[in-house]
Amino acid sequence: MANSKFMATVSPHLHEKGQTIDRAMRDVLIALTPAALWAIIVFGFNAFLVMLVSIVTAMLTEVVMRWILGRKATLKDLSAVLTGLFLAFLLPVTTPLWVVAIGSFLAVGVAKELFGGLGKNIFNPALFGRVALMISPLWIYTAKFVEPFWWRGIGFFSPIHTSINNAVSGRVIYKTFTGGVVNATTSATPLSLLKSGKMLTNTVTGPTPVGATWLTSNGRPSGWSLFLGLKSGSLGEVSVLLLLVGACYLLYRRTIDWRIPVGVLGGALFIFLITWNHPLYQMLSGGIWLGALYMATDWVSSPVSRRAKWIYAVGIGVFIGLVRLYSPWPEGVAISILIWNVLTLLLDRYVAVPKFGEVKKPLFNRLPAFPKPKPIRVEEKA
Amino acid sequence: MELRTFRGGIHPPYRKETTAGKATVEISLPDEVVIPLQQHVGAPNNPVVAVGDKVEAGQKVGESDAFISAPVHTSVSGTVKAIEDRKNFTGASVKSVVISVDPNQPTKWTEKKNVDDATPEQIRDAAKEAGLVGLGGAAFPTFVKLSPPKDKPIDTVLINGCECEPYLTCDHRLMLERPDDLIAGLKLMMKAVGANKGVIGVEENKMDAADLLISKVCSEPSLDVVVLEVKYPEGAEKMLIDAVTGRRVPPGKLPSEVGVLVQNVQTAVALYDAVATGKPIVERVITVTGPGTKQPGNVLVKLGTPISHVIEQCGGLSGDVAKVVIGGPMTGWAQKDLSATVVKGTSGILALTSEVVDTNAEQKCVGCGKCIEACPMFLTPNYIVKYARRGQWDLADKFGARDCFECGCCSYVCPASIPHVGYVRKAKAEITAAEKK
Repeated sequence: MANSKFMATVSPHLHEKGQTIDRAMRDVLIALTPAALWAIIVFGFNAFLVMLVSIVTAMLTEVVMRWILGRKATLKDLSAVLTGLFLAFLLPVTTPLWVVAIGSFLAVGVAKELFGGLGKNIFNPALFGRVALMISPLWIYTAKFVEPFWWRGIGFFSPIHTSINNAVSGRVIYKTFTGGVVNATTSATPLSLLKSGKMLTNTVTGPTPVGATWLTSNGRPSGWSLFLGLKSGSLGEVSVLLLLVGACYLLYRRTIDWRIPVGVLGGALFIFLITWNHPLYQMLSGGIWLGALYMATDWVSSPVSRRAKWIYAVGIGVFIGLVRLYSPWPEGVAISILIWNVLTLLLDRYVAVPKFGEVKKPLFNRLPAFPKPKPIRVEEKA
Repeated sequence: MELRTFRGGIHPPYRKETTAGKATVEISLPDEVVIPLQQHVGAPNNPVVAVGDKVEAGQKVGESDAFISAPVHTSVSGTVKAIEDRKNFTGASVKSVVISVDPNQPTKWTEKKNVDDATPEQIRDAAKEAGLVGLGGAAFPTFVKLSPPKDKPIDTVLINGCECEPYLTCDHRLMLERPDDLIAGLKLMMKAVGANKGVIGVEENKMDAADLLISKVCSEPSLDVVVLEVKYPEGAEKMLIDAVTGRRVPPGKLPSEVGVLVQNVQTAVALYDAVATGKPIVERVITVTGPGTKQPGNVLVKLGTPISHVIEQCGGLSGDVAKVVIGGPMTGWAQKDLSATVVKGTSGILALTSEVVDTNAEQKCVGCGKCIEACPMFLTPNYIVKYARRGQWDLADKFGARDCFECGCCSYVCPASIPHVGYVRKAKAEITAAEKK
């Protein structure tokens, strides 16, 4: 009766359908699709090129890095594709493609693979790539924003060249189909407008395709245009509406934990409310929704327990508010999340999870600060 | 109205409809039965019969002097063929009594005496003599549970009719088929521990059983039926107590700490049988089901029957069977072959096809926190695994390795398909070994 064809693995013998890492990555890609399409519509064919270069570089980097480090290729889990897309979402459409490629290499090659691969990375890889570019000498290439629908009149497929001849201001040059060159000034993002106290002077004239008004009379984008995505900014951050639609799908699929976006948005709103610094305008501008819904919720770089998640999320929100209001930078989402990515190491270690029925509920784990590592590899029992 | 429940847990597909409507049938006897001498939690039994002895059904074949133990009886009449080590359902070698079955079986335990005047002492003795253990699967000796420490009075006896494991329906059938005996068993337990309240907890997916029981207990103020949310593991001892009474058993403590005794439906019925007729635990109802079973159903099986015989009686296996599981799909044991036998704690035999079993390869933990969300004990399964992998057993314990009752919710939801339960078992064994030193 040697029926050895039966599997004799440990219980449980059932697994939740569709609950795999690959599926989760695919879900996030699905959720990001509307925002990606909108980016192409708003910023032209060039936006597609930025995404394409970012994704392809990310995939190549993963294959090469894992080969060098002697690890199995894991392209199938789609995490490289996702990191590539996320990085593109964080960059303005004017970013030269070679800069995009460098950022993508830093994201996957350094932040992910050098830290030990998916699951071991401390930082959100895409944010790491973005901030690495931001603090590098290449920063000027990633700091020029253009108006939405800049391509109207000169053609959807018009390429963009960002030149740094004039290192202080930078210039963006659009090339038309016929080879003519349009020299254009860059557009301020809603947040930099707010920061500098200026108004937008060079405007896109005429109604936008969806008919919403781009500017209100005070020279700033209206709440609706901010919400719908008629503003300048990074590729993925412009449409709050489409980001929300995608996030609803992820919440339905239980890929992301609702606590984190609620905490981040709540924390930031709290700061803008108590300082009464244009709360609505602040909440609808910049990368806060992209950050709260998709970046802070990254499984690997966020805490695991509920209580730690709340601390992490509200912490990010508060930091975003403080950076925007009291630092020289107009935007603080990326840096706030990265800081809390590091603090996650402490949160995960020291924020206690009280056990069922525990009478004295501890707030913190009492653990040795520097545990002696015991590198005993236990045989994994089937 | 919101149904009562606990925090955490999962909602697996239940797939009980295949067998829920099928009445229990008795299956034919096998040629030989294998009775493991240890079928319970506690000290192992010593054989009290010798090879070649003629034994009669219900005769004791193994017992022990230890307090936490339960004797075993032969389920059939026949001849002792061998006393040797046999692999049980967990794959461990256990000294077992092999009995070749006599074709002529006596009819016994038909005469029921009135149990109303049984004293607590008599009830405990009957439970001990009958070799009664928790028949839900844990197999903890019942009479030990019926003898709570004096300083921890028990006010409530809870009967676990949740049957929260997917596929299984044997408890459901028993509640429908023997409700009076179940209630009588509950009353005996209340009397034995001096409790003044008896509650039967039933999940909402068994409303026919709940309605039947409610109609039987509505005239008795001390008895109650509580309908609970359908969620796994609703029937776990501590979860059930939390859901029904709102009391939470502290980590490392027993239910008597909060004045509750929990027993499975089958245990209650078996206790009634033991007190009323003196019948030891020689048979039980199990569910034979799963997509790879030809004729799924609920069957009354003599203990010691090889599962190959039970499956044969249910029409055999069909299709591509990837796993044969003894017990429920969440906590049961996957079998390498069909040689293991039905014991006191066996609740089901499942033939699972590769379509339904988890065949995903283990990946690296990505820190999603879903295991923490699902854990009904509020543990951090990811850290138990992390430290168990490194061999840091003290830290694995700190994060709750020993508080885990291996329900498997963490692995069920894990996107990386990490087999947490395997690591927990390893950690438990290491921690216990380290403590003994």
